[in-house]
Amino acid sequence: MLKTNNLGYWYTQQKNSLFENVNLEFKAGQSCAIVGQSGSGKTTFLSLIAGLDKPKEGTIEFDGSDINQIGLTNYRKKDVSIVFQSYNLFTYMSPLNNLLTALAVTQSSHAGDKDFAMDMLRKLGLTDAQMKKNVQQLSGGQQQRVAIARTMVCDAKLVVADEPTGNLDEDNTAEVIELFQQIAHEQGKCVIIVTRESTVAKACDNAYRLAKHEFSMI
Amino acid sequence: MNFFKRAWLSLTAKKGRSVLLILVTSAIMLFVLAGMLIHTAADTATTNAKKSVGATLTLSANREASFKKMRKSSSSNPKLTTTPVKLSNATKIAQLNNVSSYNVTSSTSVNAKSFDAISKSTSSTGPGGQSSSSSTGDIAVTGVTNTSEVSSFSDKTNKITKGRGLTIADKNTNNTVIESELASQENISVGDTITVKSTSGSKTYKLKVVGVYKASSSTSTQQGPGATDPSNTIYTSYTFANTVKGSKYAGTADSVTFNVSNPSQVSSVKKAGNKIINNSKYTLATNDSSYQTVKAAMNNVKSFADKIVWLVAIAGTITLALIVILMIRERRHEIGVLLALGESRWKIVGQFFVEMVVVLIVAIGIGGKFVGDKLGDQLVSQESSSTSATISAPGDKSVQMSGKPGGSGGGPGGGNSAIAGGGQTGTTGSTQETNLDVNVTVLTMVELGGFGLAIMFLSTMIASGGILRLQPKKVLIE
Ligand SMILES: Nc1ncnc2c1ncn2[C@@H]1O[C@H](COP(=O)(O)OP(=O)(O)O)[C@@H](O)[C@H]1O
Ligand SMILES: [Mg+2]
Repeated sequence: MLKTNNLGYWYTQQKNSLFENVNLEFKAGQSCAIVGQSGSGKTTFLSLIAGLDKPKEGTIEFDGSDINQIGLTNYRKKDVSIVFQSYNLFTYMSPLNNLLTALAVTQSSHAGDKDFAMDMLRKLGLTDAQMKKNVQQLSGGQQQRVAIARTMVCDAKLVVADEPTGNLDEDNTAEVIELFQQIAHEQGKCVIIVTRESTVAKACDNAYRLAKHEFSMI
Repeated sequence: MNFFKRAWLSLTAKKGRSVLLILVTSAIMLFVLAGMLIHTAADTATTNAKKSVGATLTLSANREASFKKMRKSSSSNPKLTTTPVKLSNATKIAQLNNVSSYNVTSSTSVNAKSFDAISKSTSSTGPGGQSSSSSTGDIAVTGVTNTSEVSSFSDKTNKITKGRGLTIADKNTNNTVIESELASQENISVGDTITVKSTSGSKTYKLKVVGVYKASSSTSTQQGPGATDPSNTIYTSYTFANTVKGSKYAGTADSVTFNVSNPSQVSSVKKAGNKIINNSKYTLATNDSSYQTVKAAMNNVKSFADKIVWLVAIAGTITLALIVILMIRERRHEIGVLLALGESRWKIVGQFFVEMVVVLIVAIGIGGKFVGDKLGDQLVSQESSSTSATISAPGDKSVQMSGKPGGSGGGPGGGNSAIAGGGQTGTTGSTQETNLDVNVTVLTMVELGGFGLAIMFLSTMIASGGILRLQPKKVLIE
């Protein structure tokens, strides 16, 4: 589903590149963790495969086509869905409107389907009252569940998450990991999770370690 | 069209911000409205002012040509001969386009017979004081077609106080209008008959008094010595003046003044008129100085008003643009999320524009209409008072030589006018008060809306530079 070809990236201020000649492949229906120490370049790598930034070297292929060919905006709209550490919801909307807005913007097949969105939020543990009040009135765990629900209702087949459990306690972390497994196994999507936590890595189907500018399978 | 819904959600969710935006927008729109009203008022004032001042063409003998002829003349005793204006020419000119009316002037003098002329007060003992030479009588006769079209009457220097003025119906009659001081001194009232006699022969004429006028300058001190008292001027039909002058003056006049209804057309009327007359004998002189004065003054007012509108619009755009820029900076996070979802940048700009348009509509709808009406009223009253002050300032220079001496009344009433500082407009037409009827009409509101829309569009475009350059990675991943 997703392939990197000789991917390389460096920030202009830095002497060394963060990574070079990265050739990885991620498959649909599987979850994959990328672990590494803080500052190793995990977020940078994720921003490349999420289409938020362009690689300095190499290419990224999605379903056989270069994502530059697809167009980064179009790629983000149709093919990739991102879950952030800080949730990144629309703060002036209710959970329900967050989902409906995402459905509309990504022109997903369930766009405008209010019942579908409400079902998903219910499945993720939100009450009907909660899904209609402002999203900022929810707890961190609930907000992250809304962000994951947003990913689950949209059509994008690639889900990337940057430290999705970084702000959560143990119970919530376990729940969120379980949700990502569902996305991979039940929805058949490709899930890539960037994390520092080895518990998260262990729960995923595959895992890579980014250390000393290299990716290695663990 | 999802961004419409987002715009609505954003506006209703952040009520405080929306109310602030509406207030700021109302304030800016009020400035723009004020600018527009000033502009409209200036436009109306300009049109009215141009209409209210007439321009005239005066047909008279070509003195210059006559002088030349006299100098060239080999005769040992050269004589200056000027040809009186032929009325047949005048009627032809009167039929040209844009000539609204004409007034024939034929002046002469007679001596009082059945009454005494008013003797010159204090300074009459000077060398020139012995004013009555053999050819000049003590009563100045101004023969006219229509007294109301004589400049001294139209600019209200002279006013009919009893009876009536002379009109075209008084042609070929011996009706006369005399000055009130003469009337009271000699106890003459409307309906009485007075007798005057010719200065050369012994012929006498009976005149019927149909009206009495009051000359505001009758005690003027600006007259040179030798001038007769203005109260000794009587107005008659021009036919009577011609009769006094002699039979060869029948069908002639000293001058004929044509009122040109559209002052801007005065030169084309003159051109057409010059084709009718014999240019070596007669001349057509333009007098649109009052029109030119008003035009210049009003063009100043207009360009001033134009500048105000632009200034306000530019200031409004800058203010709103700054506010929108600040708002967009505050919403970087939201923009980042939208970009991460794959929303196109122009749709994000579109959302902000829609939000601003909704704000604009509400601002104009509630703020503009209510306060605008009040502001409109106020501006109207201010504008009309300053404009009428300007326009009703009587001119010092009498445009039409009516044979009436003096005639310098009325200070420059427009001197303290806020906009057009003292435009002196000696009008030959009627001097009117210009009332400005400026209301906040539906059209004004539509125009205001258009202006507001343009300002909003520009501000959003200026501010959206930030959106177009925003990197979602920077906003979303710290
Ligand atoms: N925008 C940036 N400009 C310059 N250097 C950056 C930028 N973002 C990250 N870095 C640097 O790149 C390295 C990798 O960062 P990041 O990808 O965020 O690592 P991680 O997510 O693994 O903690 C760090 O040393 C960081 O300081
Ligand atoms: Mg990181």
